[in-house]
Amino acid sequence: MTSRATPEAVRTAVATVDDPEYPGISIIDLGLLEDIDVQPDGDVVVRLVPTFSGCPALAMIADDIRHAVASVDGVTGPQAVNVRWLSSPAWTVDRVTENARRAMAREFTVAVRIGQDPVPCPRCGADTTEDSMFGPSRCRAVHVCRSCTEVVEVMRA
Amino acid sequence: MGRTWESMDAFEAFLDDGGIVEVDDDMPDAYRRAVFAFIEMHANSELMGGLTERDWIPRTPGLRHKMAVLAKTQDEIGHGHLLYMVAADMGCKTRREMIEDLFAGKSKFHNVFHYRAKTWGDQVAISFLVDAAALTSQQAVFKNCSYGPYRRILKRIIAEEGFHMRMGEERMMLIAEGTELQRTMFQQSLDDWWWPALQLFGPDSKPGDQLLRWHIKSERNEVLRARWVQKFAPLLISYGFTVPDPGLIHHPETDTWTAGPIDWEPLRRTLAMGGPDSARRIGDAAANWADTYWVRDALDAASDQALNQAAGTPA
Repeated sequence: MTSRATPEAVRTAVATVDDPEYPGISIIDLGLLEDIDVQPDGDVVVRLVPTFSGCPALAMIADDIRHAVASVDGVTGPQAVNVRWLSSPAWTVDRVTENARRAMAREFTVAVRIGQDPVPCPRCGADTTEDSMFGPSRCRAVHVCRSCTEVVEVMRA
Repeated sequence: MGRTWESMDAFEAFLDDGGIVEVDDDMPDAYRRAVFAFIEMHANSELMGGLTERDWIPRTPGLRHKMAVLAKTQDEIGHGHLLYMVAADMGCKTRREMIEDLFAGKSKFHNVFHYRAKTWGDQVAISFLVDAAALTSQQAVFKNCSYGPYRRILKRIIAEEGFHMRMGEERMMLIAEGTELQRTMFQQSLDDWWWPALQLFGPDSKPGDQLLRWHIKSERNEVLRARWVQKFAPLLISYGFTVPDPGLIHHPETDTWTAGPIDWEPLRRTLAMGGPDSARRIGDAAANWADTYWVRDALDAASDQALNQAAGTPA
């Protein structure tokens, strides 16, 4: 009989799942993972928080996690992986790791709002001005850089 | 400030070396106008596409797909917003001028948004075939685009369009595995949308195409079109559907597919705003713009007020 999966191995598998809109950026680095629970029968529960509850990527992320975790030793298949979205605690930008912040600035010119204004431009570091509270997603505003005029999306809670 | 080039030859040599042009560079006027027109058409297409998508929010079956359509609408409008900002920054037209020209029928948007989506099957065909065609051409632009601000926005747009593609594939498979009625509906949608989607790539690129020479596009229209046919013709056939092209040829030795002769007249009609649904589409968008004037007025007033508060001069 095979032994149960370890939470560490499950976590490593979950870390391979990227945000569908940010290829290369892990959902763990974006702060979506709340906890992992390996139950006595070997089933795995992965609990996550969404950036906002109407996010259209929830089903796809859950599906990607089921498939990634299914290949971990001790997990019998995708049906043994339960993905749960939590309405509490609420996701905030504080959950985004320093690593992901740097990658989003470098790869996607997306800033993460930390604390108050002004948000620095990911390209040149100068202050940005808000153009609109909403951009292509509910979790991002649109800013423009006061110096290099770059159009910057700003991730926020 | 920005860089200058002493001649068009020097500028083109810079582009050929993989140089990236930034907004404050002193770029040749012809290049500025060409890049601007390209981005303006992309922005217009995102906006017109978003408005179509919006029409389907109440009619989309199932909560999950309804959420996806809702979010996709915001995506497309948001992409339009980002692109209008990048285009306006080039100094050819303001954002408002671009919007007003679009709604006056004076500027172009993609041919596919000159047709009407009549059924959910049409919506699935659009999210599967048309989004893929748009993504194929955007990826080719992104790969080698010489205009920096557009290239950086495209990277984000492509990542999000890739997500739409996955949704489109999922919907197509659902309908392909559905009832006979659903399959019949989808075949009708394929008959109606295959050619407009294929024509989104445009006719064969001309030898002196400026967009290719200036590294705005990186591949010829016919190459991109062939790539799309190569992917989608066998896929649809494998799901038991018919590709509505009697001239479609399969070459068994290379396992490749080529489309039959293309009638470009429908594309020409859409470019002249004479497509099957052009008048209604533009009319609806213009009416929506007129109806929402009070939102713009309120935002302008609020920003005046904020300015005066900051300046210590009560409004």
